[in-house]
Amino acid sequence: MPEKIMINPVTRISGFMEIEADIANNYVVDSKTKGLMFRGFEKMLLGRSPFDAVYFTQRICGICSTAHSMASTLALENAMNFVPSEQGRYLRDIIHGCEFLQNHLRHFYQYTIPDFVKLPEEYPLFKVDHKDYRLPKNLNDKMVKDYFESLSISRSAHQMLAILGGKAPHNHGVFIGGITSQATIDKIISLKSILDDIEKFINEIMIPDVYEIANYYSEYYHIGRGYGNLLSYGCFNNYQDLGTLYVNPLVYSNNTITVFNPDEITQENEYAYYDNKNEPDIQKPQAYSWIKAPRYNNVPYEVGPLARQWLSGNYRHGISVMDRTIARVLEAGKIASIIKVLIQNLIPGVSVQQEYSIPEKSAGRGLIDTTRGALGHWLSIDNSKIAFYQIITPSAWNLSTQTGNIKGTAEQAIIGSPVKDINAPVEIGRIIRSFDPCVSCATHVYTDGKLINSFQVV
Amino acid sequence: MMELNLFLDFINNSIKEINTDIEKLYSNKYNNMRKTLDHLNSEVMMLDNYINHFSTSNQLRINDTPEQYKIAFAQQAQPVVNGTKTFTLEELAKYNGKNGNPAYVAVNGVVYDVTNNAAWAAATHFGLSAGYDLTNQFASCHAGANILSMLPKVGTLI
Amino acid sequence: MIGLSWEDLRCPYQGNRSKTTASLVDRVKDDIANRRLQKKNLVWLELNGCSGNIISLLNGQNPDFQYLITQMTNFIYSNSLITAEGSNAIDQLFSVVGSDYILAVEGAVSQKEGGVYNIIGKKNGKAVTGLEAINKLGENASYVIAVGACAAHGGVSAARPNPTECVGVQNILKRKVIKLPGCPCHPDWFMGTLAYILLYGEPPLDNRDRPLLFYSTTIHDRCPRRSYFDRGIFASKLGEETCMFKMGCRGPVTPIDCPVRQWNGHVNWPIGDDSPCIGCAQFGFPDAMEPFISYNITRGG
Repeated sequence: MPEKIMINPVTRISGFMEIEADIANNYVVDSKTKGLMFRGFEKMLLGRSPFDAVYFTQRICGICSTAHSMASTLALENAMNFVPSEQGRYLRDIIHGCEFLQNHLRHFYQYTIPDFVKLPEEYPLFKVDHKDYRLPKNLNDKMVKDYFESLSISRSAHQMLAILGGKAPHNHGVFIGGITSQATIDKIISLKSILDDIEKFINEIMIPDVYEIANYYSEYYHIGRGYGNLLSYGCFNNYQDLGTLYVNPLVYSNNTITVFNPDEITQENEYAYYDNKNEPDIQKPQAYSWIKAPRYNNVPYEVGPLARQWLSGNYRHGISVMDRTIARVLEAGKIASIIKVLIQNLIPGVSVQQEYSIPEKSAGRGLIDTTRGALGHWLSIDNSKIAFYQIITPSAWNLSTQTGNIKGTAEQAIIGSPVKDINAPVEIGRIIRSFDPCVSCATHVYTDGKLINSFQVV
Repeated sequence: MMELNLFLDFINNSIKEINTDIEKLYSNKYNNMRKTLDHLNSEVMMLDNYINHFSTSNQLRINDTPEQYKIAFAQQAQPVVNGTKTFTLEELAKYNGKNGNPAYVAVNGVVYDVTNNAAWAAATHFGLSAGYDLTNQFASCHAGANILSMLPKVGTLI
Repeated sequence: MIGLSWEDLRCPYQGNRSKTTASLVDRVKDDIANRRLQKKNLVWLELNGCSGNIISLLNGQNPDFQYLITQMTNFIYSNSLITAEGSNAIDQLFSVVGSDYILAVEGAVSQKEGGVYNIIGKKNGKAVTGLEAINKLGENASYVIAVGACAAHGGVSAARPNPTECVGVQNILKRKVIKLPGCPCHPDWFMGTLAYILLYGEPPLDNRDRPLLFYSTTIHDRCPRRSYFDRGIFASKLGEETCMFKMGCRGPVTPIDCPVRQWNGHVNWPIGDDSPCIGCAQFGFPDAMEPFISYNITRGG
């Protein structure tokens, strides 16, 4: 008879989550990942000015706000049939890259490290609640030092973002056409200088740190695989002169990589708190989460740094908790080098802004891979106001509910995991954190209407 | 067509009235200051209307009046009743601050110009749009505050 | 000078001043020795929001987050940063009840159907709503600081049509709540308010409970582009160096110190980025501050 455990709250994530797991003979035999917060952004956006969506949607999430400004801007450009200049794309993608750096630094040090490193317990925040700390004292002490040193590095990533974007979180710079301000020479040299420090930290401290942890917790290379299906909408790709600097829209399943087709995305809500009119329904009998179930070809997929590193050919060691964590750290280094290339190709003092007008009636979508994975915004405009807005976030892919008997991505990753001590099930938290969950992103309602299928991926 | 002599008569009368008001203000009779200022205000408005009327009826161009009391040139001349421009609600709706139209709002039957008012960026103010009668909203937010007397008046709501 | 002591020769005022200083220092020393002066307990409670304010807090510099948790406070709880998870974490949160603690709240309180749209944890097997948490922890805290727009007045979480009936923290609590509206709250506004509380007690607040130290003057009145406004020189698109009043800038109606403090280590700020202020630090954000970006607005002659 399996024993049921509940972990609520799952801490050191963005937002609120519960994990339910059935344990039998020290293995997880069933699991449910539950998103526990809902605000209703898609409803809020109706009737507002489409330009305002670029700022409004950022407030979905505080650690990846730039991601939403990107997807929203791309959806608007699509709806307006507007193609930004390459300079505009470089500038915007630099801001986007800075958000990656900030997120990955904070996710590794502030969210992940406390699972494996004992921080000083004289500070109540760091009081431990399990005993599975394996690092020898000198290594543990070094990691503690790195935890605190990383604070100024991740802070400087947001500072870089603000140089072009005005402020972070919730930047002002990303907009139709590229960014609002101009990258003058003094800003450019400032960016280069900060990036130099960040890159140094990633290469000399962050990457060695993750591999040290992998050494002492090597069984996690074999925990948390899940389905092994990987997906990316592409990012830092398709530049006219630079080609693809990172990854194209691709899909990996059954040892095969194919081109991603946006028309194959569907979203179910069988076990999510929405009725068949897609209104919130917290009384729905079998529902257990606010997170819906995005599917590609009716199959659950994983998105995020590991998917991107795999699909771009940068890292194909394996699919597991440890591989996910390592991929995220390696990706930080990759993004830093991409930003360097973009900066090198900037023409200082170029202004990319124009006077824009909202179409009376139109529709568009913006699909982009961002900090946690594949993010999509779909909108339609009527009478120059937002008539429909749909958001599918990377965390909806990863933290999806089940459909029928098919478990969601993270649920499947948790199932089959060993749990050494049922009173301190540390494995489960470590598995879920390897996905970098963001529940504030993952929970939405979508209003009447289907996904818009007939537009080009920008 | 307005005759030059009639026009000059109107101007002279207005100037007499304005001078009387200024004298009153100088005389430190503060208990009537508000009333005097209101009167001064409407005299200036009347003056402006005379100038407009004279120039349109004689097909002349008018020069801009100084800063604070600019009355932006509407796309159609508004009907003038007793020397004041009048607006129906329908006409007022045009003045939403877009497409070259200035931004007007009506409070307590008076139409004000908020085109360059700092609190009315993009011709909107705390969720309200220009081109409407905002009497109720004003009362629920700013009742008692000394705001309306600072706003340039452009006419009345009918 | 036989018979005169050093004390006799000193100016009487000097004497008084030394005595006062000495007595203050002695008092502080006594307080520390007798453990009356201590780091205060701080709880950071996230409710229904984007968690942007704790991220903004991590961007703090002088003081930074490390200084906050090592020198200024006993930082007891944060959903985003605490090592413990599950029931251990929630127990740690509620362990402060009965002690002397400062409560910082970000995110709005969701009220619909008893608060079930925002579950922050499970205690003894039972779900704890954000509503329940703020009720349990709010009334007895020594200070409650609403950090960010959502906690201060509902913010984006309460944007029309407010699907989960979100409100600011003050709508739920009877006691006074210090409000730091902003989207997000600048780390300095929080750190400065906290420092004032730790050293002197409640800071001087305006009639909407915002610290005057930060919220006294509108952006418009300290804007570097003010001379453009005064001369009627307005931008007609983003990316220009002139006044963005015609683009919809809410600087005139937003009292906050962004023009002088700026953001992220004083490198930039929205208007400096050639984009208008969207009034994120004023009550009514976002609904009352829209539209954020407008084109084709008439310039008065």
